[in-house]
Amino acid sequence: MAVRSTRHRRWLRKTTLGIAGLVGFLTVWQLIPTLGIVDAQYLPHVTDVAVRLVNELRDLAFWRRLGDTMTAWAIGLAIASSAAVALGTVVGLVPFLRRATHTTVEFLRPIPSVALIPLAVLMFGIRMQAALVIIVFASFWQVFVQVIYGVADIDAVARDTARSFGLTRRAQLRHLVLPTALPYLMTGLRLAAAVALILAITAEMVIGNPGLGRMIELSRSAGDAVGLYALVVVTGLLGLTINIVFRFIERRTLSWHQSIRGEEVL
Amino acid sequence: MKKTLAVGVIASLAIVLSGCTDSEATPTPGSTDSDLRPVRVAALPITETAALWGGIAAGIFERHGLAVEVLPAQGGAYAIPAMINGDIEFTVGQPFGPFRADLQDLGVVMIGNYASSYADGEDINAVVASAASGITRPAELAGRKVSVNSLGAAGDVTIMAAVEADGGDPSTIEFVEVPFPDVPAQLEAGNIDAGWVPEPFVTALVSRGDTLVVYPYQATIPGLPTLTTFTTTALIERDADLVADFAAAMKETLEWAQDPANETAVRQAIKDNLELPEAVADTVKLPEFGWELDRASMEELAELAVKYGVLDRMPNFDRLIQQH
Repeated sequence: MAVRSTRHRRWLRKTTLGIAGLVGFLTVWQLIPTLGIVDAQYLPHVTDVAVRLVNELRDLAFWRRLGDTMTAWAIGLAIASSAAVALGTVVGLVPFLRRATHTTVEFLRPIPSVALIPLAVLMFGIRMQAALVIIVFASFWQVFVQVIYGVADIDAVARDTARSFGLTRRAQLRHLVLPTALPYLMTGLRLAAAVALILAITAEMVIGNPGLGRMIELSRSAGDAVGLYALVVVTGLLGLTINIVFRFIERRTLSWHQSIRGEEVL
Repeated sequence: MKKTLAVGVIASLAIVLSGCTDSEATPTPGSTDSDLRPVRVAALPITETAALWGGIAAGIFERHGLAVEVLPAQGGAYAIPAMINGDIEFTVGQPFGPFRADLQDLGVVMIGNYASSYADGEDINAVVASAASGITRPAELAGRKVSVNSLGAAGDVTIMAAVEADGGDPSTIEFVEVPFPDVPAQLEAGNIDAGWVPEPFVTALVSRGDTLVVYPYQATIPGLPTLTTFTTTALIERDADLVADFAAAMKETLEWAQDPANETAVRQAIKDNLELPEAVADTVKLPEFGWELDRASMEELAELAVKYGVLDRMPNFDRLIQQH
């Protein structure tokens, strides 16, 4: 009972702090145009944006656009992470491959994937496939690098033990590699999910394939700051939701791991 | 936790029950008709595109057996690659895209005009200077910071010509790239002395006290085409019928849009497709729509571009312009 009440108190404090931070942010935003620091024409009042946001939520066209964006996000993330897990495991387990690819990976990884947009459009036109190229390229590295490190991080004693117990390759993968690499993989996935969202929206803004990003560009080219910020708020909320969902998955799949268990005891 | 969830569910239910709307509810007529040939057209998301949207809504393209999908091409930079790749069939865009494509032998062909500026009276775009800059005439733009939406196109070329014609030195103008919607804020902040903008920004800026300096198109080449329609030689060779049908539909559409009787429908198309305030959509000045290409004006524009070093050499107009 005592444990429960301290946990409850901590949860309450965390929530209160979170709400206070949000209210503070919204107040500052509201004050900036009200005090005339920035003209309300360029940075609209929070209240106007909120009204527009509610109107957008009632518009089916908005949900279709949201669906377009999230479809590109989900497909892109799925392709990127499955490819990264497969390749990352192989490369991470074979020291020769790891050394052979290291320089190439470090060269490719920092290339801003937005720079590939002209190539993607030339290959696929003004379609979601072009956006997928950008999304997959950017989020692939997030998972790939984490998987390589995760797979290589196997404890030497544990490995020797597994060997002396005569575990098969398959059993080693299941009982040795997977538990070691999983925390890395989950971190990689969470980062990749956020990066994929950023690039899904960027691609729509630049390429013009349907989605929230294109709506943002249309609002901008019409000088409609209220609509623009309403959509920007939506993208922020999306990012937040994705982060919460992935943290939840992370906590569930790693409930046995000390990084998660430790958090509860503290 | 459960309480928050319940509140969330109730809130979303409330939104749903308070009635959903669908701003895209106007179904594209005949989109289910399998006899129609699908055509993808890239066009800028600007008020000028109203003629195309309006023509589609009025069923003109459908009568020619075409189901047209309009893709907003930002700045048109990706329209030509997408067209060469075969993803889209036609593009409505500024003439400098095809000029450059021709210089690189990309096989791009202008098949018709789309919109032109006005030879006299109020024009559809202008250079507007901030009141603080004190600029009142073109010659005074020399040595100042002037914005255009994209460098190396009709904007800076005609502005240089207008400044030179007024006795200023065009080589001293410092051109910067600022998207049209950002010009009002940049002028106000003093980051630029003058900006080249189309409607509705011209009216908005002048009514807040900024100075209309010059209509660069009208001052240089009166009635200069602003938007033309182009496709690829590959498509013309592969499907000449499609190009001919599209050309016929475009001609009819532009005549329809130019007819004062249809102005309400054209302005309705702006409201349906752009997030513009109603009042702006009702008053924004529309260009002159027409399908006949004005080759002489375009050659003059290209000559000016070569003179000011924007283009290396003249495009091959015999190859580039094939009026359909």
